[in-house]
Parts: sequence; structure tokens; C-alpha cells
Amino acid sequence: MRLPVVLHLVGGILRLYAAAFLGPVAVAALYGEWWDLAGFTLAGVVTLAASVAAWRAAPDVPSDFRRAEGMAVVSATWLAAAAFSALPYLWVGLGPTDALFEAMSGITASGGTVLTDFDRYGRALFFWRGLTQWIGGMGVIALFVAVLPRLAIAGRELFFAEAPGPTDEKIAPQIRRTAAGLWKLYTALSAAMTAALLATGMGLYDSLCHTFAAVGAGGFSPHPQSLIGYENPAAEWVITAFMFLAGANFALQYRALRGERRALVADEEFRTYTSLVLVSAALVAAFLWRADVPAATAIRHAFFQVVSILTTTGFAAADYNQWPEQAKMILLALMFVGGCAGSAGGGPKVVRHLMVARYTLKELARTLHPRAILPVKLGGRVVPDEVMRAVVVFMLLYVLVFAVITGLVTLLGADLVTAATATIASLGNVGPGMGRVGPMDSFAHLHPLSKVVLVVAMWLGRLELITVLALLQPGLWRGATWRQRPAGPTPRVPPSVTP
Amino acid sequence: MHLIIIGGGEVGHALARALSDAHDVVVIDHDPTVGERFSSLDVEFLHGSGTSTAMLRRAGIERCDLLVGCTGLDEVNVVACALANRVGSPKTICLVSKEDFLQPDGGGDLLREQFGIDRILWPEAQLADDIVRVIKAPGAIDAEAFLGDRVRLLEYRLEAGSSLARGPLATLKLPPGALAVAVKRGEEFLIPRGKTQLAAGDKVFFMGTHEAMHEVQSRVVAARESRARQVVTIIGGGDVGFRVAQQLDRSPDIELRVIESNPKRGEMLAASLSRALVLQGDGTDLALLEAEEIGRSDVLVSVIDNDERNLFASLLGRQLGVRKIITRVSKPGSLRLFERVGIDVPLSARGAAVASIVHGVAGGPSNLLAVLEEGQAEILEIKVPAGYTPTPLLKLQAPPDSIVGAILRGDQVIVPHGSDVIQGEDTLLVFTTAASTPQVRDFFQPWSG
Repeated sequence: MRLPVVLHLVGGILRLYAAAFLGPVAVAALYGEWWDLAGFTLAGVVTLAASVAAWRAAPDVPSDFRRAEGMAVVSATWLAAAAFSALPYLWVGLGPTDALFEAMSGITASGGTVLTDFDRYGRALFFWRGLTQWIGGMGVIALFVAVLPRLAIAGRELFFAEAPGPTDEKIAPQIRRTAAGLWKLYTALSAAMTAALLATGMGLYDSLCHTFAAVGAGGFSPHPQSLIGYENPAAEWVITAFMFLAGANFALQYRALRGERRALVADEEFRTYTSLVLVSAALVAAFLWRADVPAATAIRHAFFQVVSILTTTGFAAADYNQWPEQAKMILLALMFVGGCAGSAGGGPKVVRHLMVARYTLKELARTLHPRAILPVKLGGRVVPDEVMRAVVVFMLLYVLVFAVITGLVTLLGADLVTAATATIASLGNVGPGMGRVGPMDSFAHLHPLSKVVLVVAMWLGRLELITVLALLQPGLWRGATWRQRPAGPTPRVPPSVTP
Repeated sequence: MHLIIIGGGEVGHALARALSDAHDVVVIDHDPTVGERFSSLDVEFLHGSGTSTAMLRRAGIERCDLLVGCTGLDEVNVVACALANRVGSPKTICLVSKEDFLQPDGGGDLLREQFGIDRILWPEAQLADDIVRVIKAPGAIDAEAFLGDRVRLLEYRLEAGSSLARGPLATLKLPPGALAVAVKRGEEFLIPRGKTQLAAGDKVFFMGTHEAMHEVQSRVVAARESRARQVVTIIGGGDVGFRVAQQLDRSPDIELRVIESNPKRGEMLAASLSRALVLQGDGTDLALLEAEEIGRSDVLVSVIDNDERNLFASLLGRQLGVRKIITRVSKPGSLRLFERVGIDVPLSARGAAVASIVHGVAGGPSNLLAVLEEGQAEILEIKVPAGYTPTPLLKLQAPPDSIVGAILRGDQVIVPHGSDVIQGEDTLLVFTTAASTPQVRDFFQPWSG
């Protein structure tokens, strides 16, 4: 592990991220929020300065770039992005823990908040909250579709075995091309959603904020009551539709748009995802209707909330904390599923559940037919044993991490429902949980250490555990060095720095 | 005719034996020990490679009329046929055992155009198709389809108490589109007439349209056997077994198991088949067969590449109570033995291929469509020339032991009765015993003139 190389890459990525501060700066200028404008400008400059300094730690990326270094870069990038995103929150008066929580919730597109009194903050700050989710969502799609499959982590290589482009191509241009295609799709989807929201009569500022939070599967709303505050059923349906797309595989959507009509429909994960939405929404609607909610409202709220939770967005069009227990139970179960692989959504992903379910069925069949050859198949192709093993380990690890963090949060004073749902909502990047961290509440009242633990949960969950946890292996750090190259050829002269 | 056969295996030997009486036959094989098998036949055996021009010249390629490539290696067969086509100008027939040579893109047509191969035979595929047809006709022990599946032939063994054994054929009221074309009683074939009385134990051949045969099936087969869902077990996932499995895997009303001994091959099968249960094990392992309740199967297909093991697996299946047993037989002489010990449908991949080549050599306006009962009976397709005077079937002085089973006129299929008329440009499906085949051929020969 060559730390300068890691720093160089993290710095390089954050250099681009610094440009994001221009967004809230512009909004602050537009609405005359001069104090916030100064804060965002300062935060942007600090981010840029720090990232350029880090970037200069090494002259370039050596050709023998290693897997471990890759994972370190990915983990450190999300952590550093959260830290720098927290600067504006510090500026407006949040404590360091709360600022970090809010920032991590943004950059991991979770959506859980510690803000209680929304009136105290300006429009630029809420714009910033949304923007971090939009960027975080895009980042995670690019990461999982274009970059991580090559690192073969937690069975990821399988989901994108059909990554576009010839395989003998050099990795870097291929990643760049895939990422560029995804970026276009993501932007187009965002533009379409903003236009659709404007058409429903929502203002431009609110439309943009909700677009950022929905397409990134984040869930921050500039309104303290989330979508309830708008009383705009059309907008709820628009958001439901786009959340659904945000939770679907972007690589497949890209291919579907490029002319492969059946790319999405032919995908088993997408079909399962769609059925899951339909069945869950129907059940929830039925339970709401039985609880005397008018049918039309019940259906709208059921679809909105099911999609919002399953895609791990976390918007609320109703205070589901007040819903019948049956409906809440369904939502809670969906928190453990998450979106599709290659989407902006978090959670363990539909495809892993699908594979583990098939694996379980095969193992049951094996008790009856001990001599049978029973490969697990996905999309008609056999899942290799090592991939299946990685997926099973991932799921076990997920449950373990959930249990440990729930335990910690409970020990730190939360009740069990609050602790468990806060944990799964953070680990799965959903955002709001139930109990005292429901959609109309905040995480502010939790013990500060709980917040720190949940920040870690959001970070772990976003990077699918293994990317981060693999870095805990002591063997990895024993060889860590501040030298750029262990030995050998003299380093090249660093290229001139562009600010 | 001068014939060259490349490859002295089972097909080569059977061909040589059938053709050496009337024709000059040269057999080429790279294995000198094979020559001894041909010493009893009136053929010339050359030891060497069929892909060498010098060897082909020695075999008389210049005056050769037909060259058959039937070694165990597809590539050798293709090259031998292509070479023969360059050096001389014989008709060439090439046997293959892999799908690659027949796939639509760059498959059969390409071989025909680029390599000058006249006919490509894939006996294993034919066998697999036969097996699938028999499986899909519950109760039948043989099933064939002709004229693009518009006419079917089904063979049943009548059980004691069958409703068809109650009176003379004329009183049985068979559906209008169906005809009983032949009865095999013991070793003897008879062409049934209206007064013929069927008996339990008879093997009866019915020919007719799809719908009519469906009705026949419901008359012959007990209800429990014609139930919609069938359990099929295939022992041996080789070329034939895999092909059968692939075709059955698609029908939702068939519960399929495949037993394959080679783990690697088993993995391949499990990966390619979506619904079938693939078991890794030996098809002759009684413990496995019992544990997997193979006796519950409606059909057992044993297609291992070894006659003895096939026989053993089939007998175990019979012992466990399987209803219908279909077995592959490679050695032509063993068919009858297999049948005698209780295998319902012994099938030989190469037998059909050999018969069709032999028939092609004999020539004429007829076309051999199928060989039945170990070659004792055949189905011929005969084209009636345009200028033929319409003649009622009753007045047609056709050879004995033959019967017109179906007439294709334009797009219309007629299952004929005595009063039906044969016209010019009709296509006839004629059922005949092998012994009468030359006479039938001769009878219709003038028509081609």
C-alpha cells in the first residue's frame, strides 16, 4: 500500500468535487444569503486547497496499481468527501458530530437528518444537502458499474459481466467511457424529473432539490415534513416514478435507451424488483384501506412509500410511523432489500437476495437428491461458486454488522425499535427509520456516540461493507509506506499543478 | 457402381455388407486390424488415410460413383469428402456427430457449397429426434412423422383386453383419418384387411393425420398412461442424451432427470438445461436408481455409449417398474435380443443411417423415409409422375406386403380407402416389408419414365 498514491487519487477526485460548492454559492447569491455565501466559498476553497495538496503527494498513478490501493482510495474518498461536505454545516452552527452525520447522510445518499428546526437555515444549505446526494448517487453508480466490478468484490463482477465494450481494451478508457454514458443518462433523468415536477406546479427550487434527492436515491427534502408539506399528489406520483428508475440498474437502462429494448425486461433482478414493488404496494394499500384511508390516497401513499423505502430514498409522503403495524412491517422488511445492483439505491440489493434464495432452495433440494448437480443460475447462466460464496458471506456479514450496530445504539440509550430501524436505515442508506427516528423525527436526540456509529454504518453500507472492512486486515497496513515507489526507477518530475 | 467407404467402423461394415453383392466396394481405414472384419466380404480393403489423395486414387476415385465418409472423426469425414470432390466427381455422403457442422450459420449449406458434400447425415441427432417422438406418444413403442409432421405413424403393442382386439378391423370404427397399415404377429408381417382380427400381443402400425392419431391413441392407451404429466429419466448425458434432454426440457408437462457419470459433463448439462434435474452417478448403480425413485418414471431412456451397460441399466429400470424403456443399441445384431428381454424400444442410431444410404444407392423415384422393426419394414415416399392415368387404389395391382398409407395431393393429406384414386403428381407414403421393397420400387419404377 503506497499511501502517496492513495492520497494522489483521493485528492484528484476531491479536486473535482470542490466545484460542487459553486452550486450553493450561486443559490446563496440568488436569494441574498450573504453569510452562507461566504461560508460555501470558504468551504470550497478549503476543499480545493486540501485536495490539491493531497493530489501532489504523488506525481501520477503507477502502472502497477493494486487492488488494496483501489479499495483504500474508494473508502477514503467517501470519508473525505463527507468531511469536507460537513464544513458548511459547521459554518451554520451545527456541532462537529451533527455536521459529519448530516454530511455523511448526504454523500452516501441516505437521507437521515439531525436538523430539527428547518427555519434556521437558508435555501443554499438545503440546496447543498440535495446536491451532495445527487453527486453521491452518481458516484456510487459509477463506482459499482464502472470501477468495482474489476476489483471483484462481494460478487459484483457477476452483475456486470456484460459491461459494454471489448474486454481486451485498456481498463482506464473503458471505465471512462462507461462512466461517461452513465453520467449522460443520470443527467438526462434528472432533467426529465425536474421538468415533470415543474409541470405539477412545484417551484423551480423545490423541484431541483427533490430531483437531486430522488435521482440519487437520497431523500433529503427542503421541507421539514418532506412531501407531506407540499400536498401535491401529482408530484408524489412523479417522484414515485423517478425513484423507481433511480433504484433500477443504470447500466441496463443505458442499454435499453441505446436500442436494446428488452434489456430491462429480460433482467431477472429488474423483474423481481418490479414484482416486489407491485406486491408490497398492493399489500400496504390494502392495510391502509382497512385502516379507513380512502382508496386513492391509500394506493398513492402505498406506492410512494414502498418505492421510497425499497430504493432506499427515504422521502415521506405520509408519516408511516402512524401506519398500521402490518404496513410498517412490510416497509421494515423492504429496508433489508434495497435497490438493484448498479442503481443509486443502497441496501444488500435485490439480486443478492435472489441469489441467496435460489441457493437456499438448491440446498433444500439437495437433501432430497444428494447426488444432484444443482448450479445456481441467474439470467440463464451459472453463478460461479466463488461468486456465490462471496454473496453469501456478504449477506451474513450484513446481518452481523446490523446486529452489532443495533446493539451499540441500544446500549447508548435508544429503544430497540429506534435502534434497529436507525441502524438498518443508515446501513442500507434509507434515511429515516421508525420509532423515534421516523420520517417526521430526526436523529438529533440520539447519543453523540450513536451518531458516530451510524455515520460509520452509512459509510460501510454505501461501499457494501467489504470494500471498507477488507482494509482492516493487518497484513495490508504492515507494508504501508510513505514512499512512492518501494525501489527502482527515479520518480518522474511532477507535472505542473493546475488549480 | 463403384463405391468408396472411408472408415471401417460399424457403419462402414454394415454398408459394405449390404452393398458388396451388387457393387464394387472399396473400404479405406487407417487401422489394419479392421481389415480382418472385411475379409469375409467381397470388398477391397485398403489400409491408409482417407484424407490422402494418393490413397483415394488407389481406391479408384476417378471412376467412383459414391463416397461415404463414416469414420469416428467428423473432420476426417469432411476432408475426405471434400478431397474426393476435387480429385474425382463422386456423390459424397458425410456422417457427422457434432452440431457444429449443421448449424445454420456456416453449417450444412456452407459444407455443401464449399466442400461439395452432397449429403450430411447426423445419426445421433436423428436418433434423438426419434426418441423424443416416442416419448411424446404415450403408450407407443415407435413413432414417426412424415411430410412435415402432417402424417404420423405410431406403433402399439396391444395389451390383453384392449378394445381393438374385440372384433374384425372393419367393425372397430377407426377415426376416418387413420389407417391400420400393418400388424406384426410374432416374426410375421401382415397387411391387415377389413376382416383381420387383431389379438393381444400384436404390434399394430397406424398411419394417419395428427388429429386422427390422437383419437387412436386414446383408444389404445389406458387412461393412466396418457395422463398429461410424464416423468422421464435419461441415463447417459452424451450427445444423444443431451439432445433428447434439451428437447424435453422445453415441454412443461415433462419432469426430467438426467443421470450422468462424468461430473464435468454433468455440470455442463446442469448449466444448459433449465428445468431438468441432473444427477451425478452411474446409471447402473441400483442404490442411486432406488434412492431417486427411478421406478416412478413413465419413460426410461438409456443412451450410454455402451450396449452392455445400456442393457443392464434398462433391465434395472424394468425391475424397478418403469413403464416404457427406450434403449440405444449400437451393435446391429443385438436389437432382437434387447427386445426379447423386455426392452420396449431398442433404437440404433446407425441402423437408420445405413438403411437410408443403402436405399439411396438402389435409386429410383422413391425415397426411404423410415426403417421399422430392425429393418424388416420400411416407409417409402413415391412421387407419381404428372401424366399418370388416375387409378382407384383397388385396381392398383400393387405388390403384396405393401400398402399406401397416405396420399399427399397439393397441401391436402388423404388417408386412403379402396375407392380413393391415385392421380398424377400425388406423393404416396407406402408401407412395405423390406422383402417387398424391390418389388414395390420396380412396380412404381415405370412411372418415373
